[in-house]
Amino acid sequence: MTTTDTPRIVPPVSANPELQALATQFLALEARLLDEGREEEWYGLLDDELLYTVPIRQAAEPRSKEIDRNAFRVRDTKAHVRTRLDRLNTDHAYSEVPPSRTLRIVGSVEVEEIDRPDVIKVSSALLVYRQRGIDPHFDLIPCRRYDQLRLTPSGPRLLSREIVLTETALATPNLGVFL
Amino acid sequence: MTAISPETADAAAILDRVEASLKNDLVPVEIFNDEAVFRAEIEQIFTKCWVFVAHESEIPKAGDFVQRRIGLDPVIVTRDGKGGINVLSNYCRHRGTQVCQTDAGNSRFFKCPYHGWTYSNNGDLVGTPHMHDAYGERLDPKAWGLIRAPRVATRQGFVFASLDPDGPSLDEYLGGAGWMLDLIVGLAPGGMRVAGPPERYRLHADWKTAAENFTGDGYHVDTLHWSTEEVAVSQGLQMTCEIARIYEFENGHAFAGHAWTKAVHPGYVLWGYAPEITQHFNLSGLDEAQLHVVNHEPPTVGTIFPNLSFIRLNTPSVPGGPMSVITSFRQWQPIGPGEIELWNWQFVWDFMSEDEARDSYVNGQFTFGSAGIFEQDDTVAWEGAPRAAQSPWMRKAGMEFHFQQGNNSQVDQSHDPSWTGPGRKRNTGYGEHAQLHFYRHWLNVMRGNTGAGTEGAE
Ligand code: FES
Ligand SMILES: [Fe+2]
Repeated sequence: MTTTDTPRIVPPVSANPELQALATQFLALEARLLDEGREEEWYGLLDDELLYTVPIRQAAEPRSKEIDRNAFRVRDTKAHVRTRLDRLNTDHAYSEVPPSRTLRIVGSVEVEEIDRPDVIKVSSALLVYRQRGIDPHFDLIPCRRYDQLRLTPSGPRLLSREIVLTETALATPNLGVFL
Repeated sequence: MTAISPETADAAAILDRVEASLKNDLVPVEIFNDEAVFRAEIEQIFTKCWVFVAHESEIPKAGDFVQRRIGLDPVIVTRDGKGGINVLSNYCRHRGTQVCQTDAGNSRFFKCPYHGWTYSNNGDLVGTPHMHDAYGERLDPKAWGLIRAPRVATRQGFVFASLDPDGPSLDEYLGGAGWMLDLIVGLAPGGMRVAGPPERYRLHADWKTAAENFTGDGYHVDTLHWSTEEVAVSQGLQMTCEIARIYEFENGHAFAGHAWTKAVHPGYVLWGYAPEITQHFNLSGLDEAQLHVVNHEPPTVGTIFPNLSFIRLNTPSVPGGPMSVITSFRQWQPIGPGEIELWNWQFVWDFMSEDEARDSYVNGQFTFGSAGIFEQDDTVAWEGAPRAAQSPWMRKAGMEFHFQQGNNSQVDQSHDPSWTGPGRKRNTGYGEHAQLHFYRHWLNVMRGNTGAGTEGAE
């Protein structure tokens, strides 16, 4: 063993493997429920105080100015999400009739503990494959998500989610799917 | 009349067919996805008409800029040190490299990344590296500045540019649409501002379909958007055409309003804006016809030819919750045949508190953003036209789209004889008059005819 002067990089991630497994499982479950069209079960995983946002991103310099957190494509409370689901359930929400066939790949999951014992921060990368209706093509929606999960006796609940899209101009015609 | 470009010559046979079809209130399918037609549109329409490029509230301070498009061309819209607005071509004069690589920012200079020519934010060339060795003397800053849009003008903070040095002024070009714009955004001192940068999403649609829809297609509302009624975000969508008012102006502009005081209740004036908002309004500058319009039959959607549209409606902030009025301006940016990028800005009143502005913004996006519960269905309904247009079978079959809706209808579609505002007005949304008005003007411009009022609201 030698010692070096190289500063140790301390990632803000949790060293707790149980929390890591909990978050990873949660994100995988969510993704599967949405891919399988089980939105109502997914809805059960949302905290009552949910805030779900997609801020607007532009090509800007410096990079810290790319994302305007006062500007958004979506800023949903749980009531908004409920309305979206109710609308999908009418079978007349035409952009999703039939529902897009999707595959959500979740990766790079990092967990961070904060000063609230019942809440953890989880960052993940998400790539959504979407084939809509009778489209001859498929769309990809790449994004990174910054979540807060509330740890409840009945399991984690999604308390907040910020979705940072990789693209400045979406290459899919609408955000008719949850990210 | 201006000269016919080679692109238009290629499209000439198609335009002849459009002319014949339009006489029968039909529109040939091929114009929605055709390389020659698209090139001709860029050439004839986007380099000659006044095109929206930015709202002044997007570049409030010296040095602010946004990158926008006129047709296919990238332009930088800047606020220079003297407060002036410049619409500059984003191509370096040396070899054409794009000198601005961002969508927005603040800078006094644009330095070309290739060889370092540097332009001031008013477009002047102010620096060439190794000037003495390379050029011996200073290059003329104006002669070698970024190429400027020949004409730039604003109305209510909306910045338009025209690449045609001749032709009508912006106010002449807008005509009745300017009159309408004044009453949409000019009701309060300070007017409206953007709530945030534009949201952009790419559709497999033709820009004309979107522009046409916003001239006054009330007919689709209780089918395509019926789900919003089912979840009680909307109410009474089936009356959309019945209570619609269609306003047609010169140069292809058209708006559709709704008689809210008749349909909802007599006190439901000014789009149903809440008193907290209307107390800031000052209507004293409006003429009598404008006063009637804002109170009783205000514009709900509209298109300023060629590609700027707007929508204003009163909608719940959360389902079942309090209402708020949203205002979105949107631009149908042509990308290629059958492809557009939708640019959507939510607007809020300058006087609004942070909370009021936020509510209106959230509502606007919840209804008319890329995830909007109205908008998302429009984005895919519009995909059919370009696909049909590309079909060899449909072309061979001579497919034409049907715009004859009003021809045998029992509903009175005549011009309102009591109308004292500009253009003409009809008191129904049935009949596809606003759409035909748009396409007739489109044909005229494609034929090289861009003069103001040339086929005004006759
Ligand atoms: S291309 Fe811009 S300096 Fe050469
Ligand atoms: Fe629509």
